[in-house]
Amino acid sequence: QTSISGTVLEKDSDLPLLGVSVLVKGTTTGTTSDFSGNYSLNNVAEDAILEFSYLGFKTLEVPVTGQVIINVRLEEDGQKLDEVVVTALNIERDKESLGYSISQVDATQVNVVRENNVMNSLNGKVSGLQVTQSNTGVDGSSRIVLRGITTISGNNRPLVVIDGIPIDNGGGGTGQGGGVDRGDALSDINPDDVASISVLKGAGASAAYGSLGINGVILITTKTGNKRPGIGVSLSSTFMFTDIMLTPNFQNEYGTGFFNDFAPINADGKPVLDYPFSWSWGPRLEGQSYTNWLGQTDSYSPQGNPYKDFYQTGYSIANTVAFEGRSDKTSFRMSITDEDIQGIVSNNTLGKQTFNIRGRSQLTDKFSIDGKMTFITSKVENRPDLAEGNGNTALQLSLMPRDIRLTDVRNNTINAQGQEIKWNLDNTFNNPYWALNHLRNTDNRDRFQGLLAIDWKMFKNFSLTARTGMDYRVFDYTSHGARGAQSIKSGLGEYSHNNGKSRIWNSDMLASYKAEIGGFKLTASVGAMHRDEAFNNQYINGFDSKVRDFYNISNYKNSFSSESITKKAITSYYALGQFQWGGYLYFDTSLRNDNSSALPKDNNSYWYHSENLSFLFSRAFGLNPKFISKGKLRASHAIVGNDTGAYRTQAFYNVDQTVTLPYTVASIPGSLPSFDLRPETSKSWEIGADLGFFNNRLMLDFTYFETNTKDQIQAVPISGASGFETVVVNAGNIKNNGIEVQLNAVPVETDNFQWNLGVNFTKNNSFVASLNEGLSSIELGRLWSVSVEARPGEEFGGLYGNDFKRDNFGRKLITDNGLTQRGERILLGNINPDWFGGISNTFRFKNLSLSTLISVQQGGEFYSYGRAYRTYFGTDKRSLVGRENGIIEDGINENTGFKNEVAAPAFLKQFTDIFSNEVSKDQVLDASNVKVREVTLTYSFPQTILRDTFIQSASLSAIGRNLFFLYNAAGDIDPEAGYSSGPTGTAFEHSSLPSTRSYGLNLKLNF
Amino acid sequence: NPNAVTTIDDAALYTKAVRSLFLETTDLSASRFAGHYGHYFVAGSTARIPDQYGDGFDNNYNAMFDGLYGGAIRHIEEVLTITSSPKTQNPVRNAMANVIAVLAYAKATDAYGDIPYTQGGKGKTENIVHPSYDTQESIYKDLIARLTSSISILQGADAALGYPNSEPIFNNDMEKWVRFANSVRLRLAMRIRFADNALSKATVAQCLTAPLMETNDHNAFIIQTEGTGNAWFNNRTGFPSIKMSVRLIDQLQGSADPRLSVFVSKNSNGTYSGMVNGLDDTAFGASNFADKSDIGIPLSSPNSKIYLISAAETWLFRAEAALVYDEDAVVANQMYRQGIKTALGQWEIDASDIETFMGSAVASLSGVNNEEQIGTQLWLAVIPNYFEGWTQIRRTGYPVIEQRTADNLSQGVTNGVLPTRFLYSSFELNSNYVNVSAAIANQGPNRIDTPVWWDKN
Repeated sequence: QTSISGTVLEKDSDLPLLGVSVLVKGTTTGTTSDFSGNYSLNNVAEDAILEFSYLGFKTLEVPVTGQVIINVRLEEDGQKLDEVVVTALNIERDKESLGYSISQVDATQVNVVRENNVMNSLNGKVSGLQVTQSNTGVDGSSRIVLRGITTISGNNRPLVVIDGIPIDNGGGGTGQGGGVDRGDALSDINPDDVASISVLKGAGASAAYGSLGINGVILITTKTGNKRPGIGVSLSSTFMFTDIMLTPNFQNEYGTGFFNDFAPINADGKPVLDYPFSWSWGPRLEGQSYTNWLGQTDSYSPQGNPYKDFYQTGYSIANTVAFEGRSDKTSFRMSITDEDIQGIVSNNTLGKQTFNIRGRSQLTDKFSIDGKMTFITSKVENRPDLAEGNGNTALQLSLMPRDIRLTDVRNNTINAQGQEIKWNLDNTFNNPYWALNHLRNTDNRDRFQGLLAIDWKMFKNFSLTARTGMDYRVFDYTSHGARGAQSIKSGLGEYSHNNGKSRIWNSDMLASYKAEIGGFKLTASVGAMHRDEAFNNQYINGFDSKVRDFYNISNYKNSFSSESITKKAITSYYALGQFQWGGYLYFDTSLRNDNSSALPKDNNSYWYHSENLSFLFSRAFGLNPKFISKGKLRASHAIVGNDTGAYRTQAFYNVDQTVTLPYTVASIPGSLPSFDLRPETSKSWEIGADLGFFNNRLMLDFTYFETNTKDQIQAVPISGASGFETVVVNAGNIKNNGIEVQLNAVPVETDNFQWNLGVNFTKNNSFVASLNEGLSSIELGRLWSVSVEARPGEEFGGLYGNDFKRDNFGRKLITDNGLTQRGERILLGNINPDWFGGISNTFRFKNLSLSTLISVQQGGEFYSYGRAYRTYFGTDKRSLVGRENGIIEDGINENTGFKNEVAAPAFLKQFTDIFSNEVSKDQVLDASNVKVREVTLTYSFPQTILRDTFIQSASLSAIGRNLFFLYNAAGDIDPEAGYSSGPTGTAFEHSSLPSTRSYGLNLKLNF
Repeated sequence: NPNAVTTIDDAALYTKAVRSLFLETTDLSASRFAGHYGHYFVAGSTARIPDQYGDGFDNNYNAMFDGLYGGAIRHIEEVLTITSSPKTQNPVRNAMANVIAVLAYAKATDAYGDIPYTQGGKGKTENIVHPSYDTQESIYKDLIARLTSSISILQGADAALGYPNSEPIFNNDMEKWVRFANSVRLRLAMRIRFADNALSKATVAQCLTAPLMETNDHNAFIIQTEGTGNAWFNNRTGFPSIKMSVRLIDQLQGSADPRLSVFVSKNSNGTYSGMVNGLDDTAFGASNFADKSDIGIPLSSPNSKIYLISAAETWLFRAEAALVYDEDAVVANQMYRQGIKTALGQWEIDASDIETFMGSAVASLSGVNNEEQIGTQLWLAVIPNYFEGWTQIRRTGYPVIEQRTADNLSQGVTNGVLPTRFLYSSFELNSNYVNVSAAIANQGPNRIDTPVWWDKN
């Protein structure tokens, strides 16, 4: 027996490490290193082995063999040989003990190439995870789907948990009629505060979160500040430019007019600006003299791509300063981040400040506390109007006849009477500069997240953790449209103000007991969680302004208001068990019971369970690590239940908002309630293998999974003749299966040069096994004549639209006028990709490293109404076909049966096909693409330079995001440019803002 | 649920149903379809596409179908249930609700033909989510029977049992209510003249034994003061604008009808210039649409009235009945003239102008084409209830809407013949396939030129 002391240093920097666990192997005797990295242990057997372990570092074992001073240097665990990952309920686990698939992403992957929405940084990096960023202006939302869509009417978004507290993960986006994308709740996660992100894909991993985790869980751990050497100041600064990457192809040969002629001139000297003369089907643009839309004599010439002049280069600046400190017992981190973004639309800006304070203290040997407060305040100005919205500048510009000069549009927005000036009479299409100046909105949002957690090791082997945390959001949105534009309440002007707050409060408790009997280790835990959701909202809206340019509800002759309150609570109880045998066989099980207030009393309590098995055969059979360094087989099974939104089990009446009526009006909602809803259930299983070869130079993770979600709670459409549109029922069964593969390799590794290669691949299938009885289809989304539908016996997410009318041989039936006709409604595609994945490469040469990320999507379709619109308005390049001589449709005359030889005028063909007949066969596009997502070139200043300065470490990165498509099947349309981040948001594109790329610099300094 | 109430006085649902019924006279069925089919106007831009007799309007057909059932019908069915339930029963309210329900179902069956009726609108009250269809014949018979029983309850009813202070049409005036219900019965009786002549004739006789709408005081109208006001105001000032039909202008101008300035505005040149219905795209493009005459200001001001049924319309029905059932041309002429006079009075035409017009040839039945004269005046009298106008044309064949054969007119899917109904939408086919298929088997192909049961002309 001897006493041992020593110092623990970080290998590369020789800086002391605080809090390293020093354990006498095979016993529970141990200690931790102090502020200076020193430790001491008494009564250690001379033949004992000391085990030094520290999160993120390789564990080191040192035989005592009579030494009294043992100094060690721990090496950072670059390859994660024994990866510690954060799992459900914030329990840190050895990755190898897990029976399910989990992916962990490091801080550097999200805070160097910094995205306003941290989720966008995960795109292409994690198998099974599909992230699609909408083109909706700064702070737009993203569609996030893990392992495919499992529920027909649910939001299908994974749960997001920050430091153990599930937060509001609501989505954003808008509908086909227009509106703005207010972003999603995840854009408030500050990338600079993130320490790591774990993605729990299957129900086996997320079962501990019960119904909240039914769509998978994204666990975010923020920095705690207990690891940083030095005086503890770090600085991160990012500056990025954003510019246009992709715009539609316009034609430059024909301008305003109709049937190759100019519009007739009205008595006021201006051409007739009504449809169809305000479209681009006029004469050839040859510089000839004509009367332009303003009534001026002008030269009739093409005016180039209006997007390039209307939209500008945006930028984003983000600066974070973090202070970290620590003592023997306590560590803290405080940070402030300031972020400013200027979008490509000149008045679209974001300003956001995030304050974050996190502290941990070991109050006694057995009792520690952890607390956090995050305050985020953000202001977004002028989120762009989207889709068919009358403020969508992209729609306006894309349909503007090709001879109209953008400077004329800018210089002529409003006349002496205060009326909008534009080149058409169509309500939908405002003058884009009028829209820019007179349709405005402001979003203010404050968000507070607080956390307090305790960890009490009450007795040997028995510990208790308890945690409570709140996610509190206050929002205040205003928007207005000035007087003077026909599209805004018939020229009267409009104002609205919406504010509210949402509070989600989660508290949980977990008691764990650890036991070891021979080679058998056991951890058993019981816990409980209570979640309370409350949301309320007040909305006022007015139209018909009394005074110009004054935006306050008092200035409107007609005003309406409404308010809503939503409350829901879930109480859960659970038990977890972990069993380990011989260091190579692990078994986990969980059992959970939820009680939801949203379900009827008789059915409001429901159970889940999960079982996970992991077998490390490489360890069990003692395989040679030079060849098979890691070999693990895993299997997982889980049953999860789900509840529904509040107030779906009760019949009620709404009192109508009336202003002028002397009597009361009440209405009955269009959705029939259900009085006997049951919880949904989702059964899933997965098997997989984690394999490492050649000292883990080559690592392969493989997973196959199946999920079956039954008894889905949804509002199914019923015959309108019932008087109602939908009824809420338990119906529908969706089956998912898929394969996920992750390959990591280090093909080259020398002292100076290293190449890391990562490849991930995901293939998901979602199949609609059944809907409600007698129901042949549920429409999940619609744009113009194309719908996304769930039909029994088919893949989920079919795109349905009209075909041309055809004969039995599939030939188009053409009228005597040479025009096609509307045929059957058929399946035109499916929103789900055949497969998708990412390829990442990192090359490191001395202090220089280059990383690239390329994302790949194969298959999947979407409908571009933007392209359809431009085609029949005659601005799209495709509208050039047959301008002079007409288009002879390939098909047979419906009356004669002979091959069609009649040429239809190009305008008539496009307008008839797309608009009158609503044929969408030719506008459903292949979404396959290969995109360069990220390129980062980082220079880390060597220690030799920094040694004599106060700077601990410094790095400078040149970064680029979403740089370009290597391949894009849809050509001039970005397949990700949707207006919604809902489950079917990738289905539709409608005159989206141009897609952008961003590039810039990131500087990190640690003092 | 803190946002809504679980019990409510049926008065609030009754007002909802009544208002819905009025607002449905300005919905898509009028602004996009019947207004075109009735050759009253041509909507601008792409809103005019139904004017080309196409049928690619699945969303619209669905919206109108759901609108009819989800508007007046949804709410009046609940009122009928409340007012006939043991604890809350009220025969007077029930009778009034029945009249509203009859009008709502009549419009639905006039639009689509066979519709769910006995099981229609019963999603909440009887949990029927896949209602079966009834034939238009059986529906009409029942509608008339319901009116007859309602009228007998309303005659001499205690107004206090009705909807005091919350009755939007007649402010709960029972005397006017009887006239209203009886006039609706007369309308329905005349509707089936060619399909079930015996019932039509018997019902008309019954109608004449009770009071009918006689003066413009008896008209069933409301002024939409909520929101942006009258829908035709938005159609005149907003987009797509509507331009009045050359057919309507010719009729009014040709007969020196003083209603011309009521129904039609002058264009920027100070003249009345009408749009031709049914132009194909090429011809429309060359038609100088923007400079055609707008809808008249009295029809399209924010506070313009919208009508369910009027005294003028009732007089003209009586004229037709006198002519064909009593074969009394003298009485028919009196009624006809009364109808025209009332119709002019409805628009506050100067007494002297009325006088002048009453002296003109069109204001008296000529004896040669009496039915056409009555039909034409009915067409004018129902304005701005354009759906009723199209329905009258379908029933009587007057005014005659010729088959479109000219090169610059679109023949659509009907070979240029005036459409006679709306389609069952793909949404209904998806969600109620078995029942709607049975209706199609019974009624005929789901086409816009399949006539409904009462349509024999």
